[in-house]
Amino acid sequence: MIRLYHWEAHGACARVMFCLAEKGLDYESRYVDPLAFEQHKPELIALNPTGQLPILDDAGFVCVEATDICDYLEEAYPAVALMPEAVVDRWRVRVWQKHVDEYVAASIGQLAWQQARTTMFAGRDTAALEAAVAAIADKGRRDWWKLSLVPYPDDQLDRARERLVPILVAAEEALAHADWLVGSFSLADIALYAYLAFLPEVAADLLADRPAIAAWIGRVAARPAVRTASARGTAARPFAVAAPGQEEMRWG
Amino acid sequence: MTVELYFFQPLGTNSARMYLALLEKEVQFIERELSGRLFEHLQPAYLKINPKGQVPALVHDDMVMTEGGPTNEYIDEAFDGPPLRPADLRERCAMHWWCRVIDIEFGRSLMMVNWNRVVPMFAGAKSREEFEAILESVPLPDRRRAWRRAFLADTPIEQIDESRRRMAAVAARVEQTLAKQPWLAGQSYSLADIDLYSYFYFVPEWMPELVNPKATPALIDWLAKAIERPAVAEMMRRRRDDKGLETAVTAAAALKTGGQA
Repeated sequence: MIRLYHWEAHGACARVMFCLAEKGLDYESRYVDPLAFEQHKPELIALNPTGQLPILDDAGFVCVEATDICDYLEEAYPAVALMPEAVVDRWRVRVWQKHVDEYVAASIGQLAWQQARTTMFAGRDTAALEAAVAAIADKGRRDWWKLSLVPYPDDQLDRARERLVPILVAAEEALAHADWLVGSFSLADIALYAYLAFLPEVAADLLADRPAIAAWIGRVAARPAVRTASARGTAARPFAVAAPGQEEMRWG
Repeated sequence: MTVELYFFQPLGTNSARMYLALLEKEVQFIERELSGRLFEHLQPAYLKINPKGQVPALVHDDMVMTEGGPTNEYIDEAFDGPPLRPADLRERCAMHWWCRVIDIEFGRSLMMVNWNRVVPMFAGAKSREEFEAILESVPLPDRRRAWRRAFLADTPIEQIDESRRRMAAVAARVEQTLAKQPWLAGQSYSLADIDLYSYFYFVPEWMPELVNPKATPALIDWLAKAIERPAVAEMMRRRRDDKGLETAVTAAAALKTGGQA
């Protein structure tokens, strides 16, 4: 039995939810609310000490990090393939996943949280929030949450946008004459879409001159598996809600 | 079929992990060594290979591949030779987890600490204007910022301390893991061990407080076991020190503490 600990169908959680749905795999859904700090409760910290989602539990085998979970699912449940066969294409998919892991997740995370912070924290007591953050066990995560309680400075947001641009340029080029990033629909499309689908909500200007990406976002969103998976969260518009995401790359 | 590898000497971290993966798979490759100190990776000849100006790069039949993690998986899939990824899916997942921790959590922290240590030494003789002219040729804005911060030595001490804390935390976790199993991902030698060796072989000497026989006995034993592998030994035979740089660093450190070089 597969169990997935996840929040709404966006970002890292969506990558695994889409992968499971595309493969037609059923799973027990455990909805975890990061804004209630549920991911830092002892039973979840026991599964992932950094307090990050998603977490996959396949018959007692626990796997974290969206890229690694998707790689595991691809190997364990190969009937519906989401990786290309050609070795060079497999490298291409992994490079897209790495861009997402290193830069896209953090950049989109900052832009989305900057916009959502006030709404998501509406009616919350500041002292209680600060206390909850101070209780986060992992120092790296605790420091990032602290920085995320107040508006991010402009230069940090400029860096977030700057880091996205070369990746958007490459994606626009790849999608100009093809439906998908690497050959057929793959884990690369899932990884990038799970974040770029935030753009219409948080930085629409970055899509203005990129019609190929905009059309591709529509194509991914229309896939039956993606629609099914999106319904397993609670938000009507998953890309309009956010929580503090991945910390920005610390050096170079 | 031609395979070429562009890399820096002395072989370590990113350059070492691709180099070692090729040796483990017994792939014949052409060595294309670049001098980081002479900024050869920012010259037009190399920017034609990798417009980002990052090293290493693998060229296999005209296809240029960068990014260590994906490229090492490519090397494992594209060439014959012993497999470098565990067949057991649980171990394979552990391998990926470790490759990420070593690359990002340890590697980027190491980079921050190390650049702040060595860049002022080898770029110190240049004026700000001369250095800015070199920075102009760095294609990635992130890299340019990191170079500038290292040159100006203006990285806040708390950030450097945080990097040291993260490196220590990774070393402790490695120690716990190697105390209970022979290789980092489990029972078989994998890409995670290649990365661990590439990022850690110099740490006992360079940061002895992090890796030493008392604090990390299992890691010290593992390093001794790793060097017995023919590929690891061959890489270390081909490794060459950047003597000029090390001399400059030692001399400058001595100057700082008022001691003798």
